[in-house]
Amino acid sequence: MIAILIDGTVQGLQLALMAVGITLIFGLGGVLNLAQGQFAVVGGIVAALCINAGMHPVAACVLGILSAGVFGLVVDRTLLIPAYRCAGEERLLLGLLITLGLSFVVNGFMDYKYSDISLSLRLATPSFDVAGISIRTASAAVAAIAILAFALLFAFLKATLLGKVIRSIIQNEVGAELCGINPARIRTVIVVLSAMMAGLGGIAQGLFSSLGPEMGNGLTDYALIVAVVGGVRSINGTLAAGVLLGIVNAFASYYVGAYLTLIILLGTAVFTILLRPAGLFASRS
Amino acid sequence: MNTKRYLAEYVTLLLVVVVLALVPLGLGGSAYYLRLATMMLIYMIYTVAFNIIFGHTRQLFLCVGALAGCSAYVSVVLAMRMSVSPWASIPVGIVSAAVLGGVFSYVSVRRGLGVIFVGIVTLVFSMIFANLILGLREWTNGETGIETRGLRPDALAPGLASYYVILGVLMLSLVFYHLLMRSRAGTAFRAIADDEFAAELAGIDVTMYKVLAATVGSALIGAAGAIYAYYSGYINPTVFGPVSVDIAVLVTLLLGGMGTLLGPVIGSVLFAVLDEVVRPLGGLNVLVYGVLMIILVIAFRHGLVAMLRKVTKVRIP
Repeated sequence: MIAILIDGTVQGLQLALMAVGITLIFGLGGVLNLAQGQFAVVGGIVAALCINAGMHPVAACVLGILSAGVFGLVVDRTLLIPAYRCAGEERLLLGLLITLGLSFVVNGFMDYKYSDISLSLRLATPSFDVAGISIRTASAAVAAIAILAFALLFAFLKATLLGKVIRSIIQNEVGAELCGINPARIRTVIVVLSAMMAGLGGIAQGLFSSLGPEMGNGLTDYALIVAVVGGVRSINGTLAAGVLLGIVNAFASYYVGAYLTLIILLGTAVFTILLRPAGLFASRS
Repeated sequence: MNTKRYLAEYVTLLLVVVVLALVPLGLGGSAYYLRLATMMLIYMIYTVAFNIIFGHTRQLFLCVGALAGCSAYVSVVLAMRMSVSPWASIPVGIVSAAVLGGVFSYVSVRRGLGVIFVGIVTLVFSMIFANLILGLREWTNGETGIETRGLRPDALAPGLASYYVILGVLMLSLVFYHLLMRSRAGTAFRAIADDEFAAELAGIDVTMYKVLAATVGSALIGAAGAIYAYYSGYINPTVFGPVSVDIAVLVTLLLGGMGTLLGPVIGSVLFAVLDEVVRPLGGLNVLVYGVLMIILVIAFRHGLVAMLRKVTKVRIP
């Protein structure tokens, strides 16, 4: 029982890692990024290639996350510029389609070039016992990484000037611009940060089981659902939604069959959206 | 009403039917290309329907494939398990799709969901639909799919006859679209597309018209889905998946031009040609497809119809 709860929470944290990027880019840039899973795949596959080339796994993972960030930087500074030139609904649609096209490009490239490469990280001790419950080391590592990443993100947003600037743009872009903030530059920072979070999510997937080049779309789908259930503008909401859906997923797959699990998970998502259209923490905004 | 006002529409409808009717002659009897052209017509019907739902009332239904699949599976399963004639089961399928579409629309309007949320809820429905089909194995054969060849009415067997039957359905839906747009509902749709809030203030029953658009659009999608099920001779969850249908339809509509009569038609032609161009590239086709999609989306942001209007200075409907 508690083991399932822990398992679900950890899975949920990983989902939240993937989803927080979508939340940030949407909140700040007004673009719903449909290539989020592909960022994770880029990070994971680069890490896998480095490990295959004989690099130390930790260094390889750091390099993978960094390359996801660089990829995000390139995408933001080239592909997304036409989208940023528009406003409102048009920006949303254009951004949606450009990132969708990008996801095809990444999927196609990965499938063509690296279809036989996958990232699976194995830790030295597979599991350890805490108070009689056996916990996978990988789960503990993923949980630690995710919690650390989120703590850093929150600290960054709350305590630094740049974080304050970011929050001000999420609240009111025009107002922020009037205060002398350049949203374009901040947007780039956020896209890079989101891509790196996604890369971290990819590495976490590699720790859990394995990350293949074809998993981009699946990861994007889940990240999207989590981000929307969380309210697409709230980071706390994303974190809560990730954990909630992770736990629902773990319990459902324990008690009912595999195919019903997904339906229960998706049904939970639909009901959350319908009951709280603005997200789990809507009342606070 | 004076006929002159709609002259451009009539000319366009006539041109579309003549050109599309002549297409099989240009294909030189190749069964492969005839099949491709027929599939293009089916996707045109999807896009015309999606245009009513999204182009005019801004409801991002990412469940076009699921609605088509729902109608297709209802019709095929009825025909197969209860030996109902396809002509009787197709309307049942269409009604099921229309009811589903109407319910989605009603719920999302009532809950005040924004574009993105409607998109996600309907996308999640698509995923639920695919899983239900996989799970209800004893009815649907799961992933294996259902052979529909044995149930198929002759009029929908691949060949020239079915091409013209489906062209007939397409023309019916285009004429229906034209009539809808010149009616009171069309005025309401245009107002909603411009500014929903203002439309509501002007006394337009936004809920009613959005649900109306979603219902008739879903019915058309259901019709195309059921036709596809019998025409192609085989259905499984993948052929109605978001990648096979929804993305194609969304890109087609945006390439052609939202809220236009001709947009879905020329968008589908362009999309079909594009699909055929990248097919022989084998392993690289997804990559090239993505690159082309990005270029087209950036270059023709407002759609081909808008570009043609600008270039030719003619009012193209």
